[in-house]
Amino acid sequence: MSGPEAAGNGPLIHRRYVFGLLLRLCVNFAGGVGILFVILYFTLSRPLPGDYAEVFHALRNLSPFLRPILAVSVLVYALLACGSTSALCVYILHKVAGPLYRMELVLDQYRSGTPTRTVSFRSGDQIQPLAQAFNLWIGTLRRDRHRCLATMKDAERHCLQDEATCRAQMEEALRKVAEDMAKYH
Amino acid sequence: MKNRALQPPWSRIRYVTPRFQGPAVLAFAAIIATGGAIFWKLVDSEFQRVFLHAAIRGHYAFDSAYDIIRDLLAWHLAGLFVGVFLTGSVLVLLLVAATRHGIGKAVDSLRASADGDLSTPTGTGSISEFGRFGEKIDATRSDTLASVLKIRSEAAALAAGGISPEEFRLRWDELKHRIRRIAP
Repeated sequence: MSGPEAAGNGPLIHRRYVFGLLLRLCVNFAGGVGILFVILYFTLSRPLPGDYAEVFHALRNLSPFLRPILAVSVLVYALLACGSTSALCVYILHKVAGPLYRMELVLDQYRSGTPTRTVSFRSGDQIQPLAQAFNLWIGTLRRDRHRCLATMKDAERHCLQDEATCRAQMEEALRKVAEDMAKYH
Repeated sequence: MKNRALQPPWSRIRYVTPRFQGPAVLAFAAIIATGGAIFWKLVDSEFQRVFLHAAIRGHYAFDSAYDIIRDLLAWHLAGLFVGVFLTGSVLVLLLVAATRHGIGKAVDSLRASADGDLSTPTGTGSISEFGRFGEKIDATRSDTLASVLKIRSEAAALAAGGISPEEFRLRWDELKHRIRRIAP
């Protein structure tokens, strides 16, 4: 962050981040389907008995077992896919949730009157323009604050002269301060 | 050597925000569960039919039950993958759009604040987490505006004159102190 004036207009969410998320989801879902395939393959690939009648009965008797086999396979798939997708979501989305949480902390600190430092997110984090916009705002406020204080300090220098000049200069400074603050609405 | 007692307490930054990541995780879980349920329903009825048909047809030119349903299973697995992935992709794109909209409004609001507009509401309410964040920004801007307005009115009142020198000096110092508290 080079300063409040450097408020960039970069994207809030980079395209690369979105593609990365989609790619990871694709691999994740493919892995889930792969596991489902492996379970069903090993369950159904047992050789059928050699005799004609035995094969007939084996195929007829397969039906009652098919439903629980499928149910367990799909359940395993769902649990594994849900678990890995949840972990992926938490890992990937923290690049948005993290900066958001950090900004909330900064806003709370600012409201409580704690000195606020320039906000910068980690390099891989998304929503970078949020930090830049906040820094721009705080920078503008600080610049106005410095100008007001400088104006008042300048007026105080005249207090080394007579009382009337001092008071006149101070009142002039106050008018300037009120004018500077008038831009806020 | 640094005095550890003077350093601020180290706090771990929590990167898991249940209000933001939780609904996304639940939505993905719902997609996977729905996909699995549809797959189970379709494959179950198809397999029952195919095995029965194979049993009564005769001419058993296969070694295992898998040989009978190989193509059918492949198609259904491909369908499951495509269905879940496409729905998940739509969800990702919706999440990205909501984030862009919500955070975009917050950024616009902060930029407007830098130009002096501290009163226009942020209006980030598409996802509850962003809505809450927008309210926090609005509260911060509102506090700043209140403090600025107080300074402005006090400066104007002091500039108007008619105040004794002692009181003027007192209020002058107080005003300086108040100005110092802007954006500490």
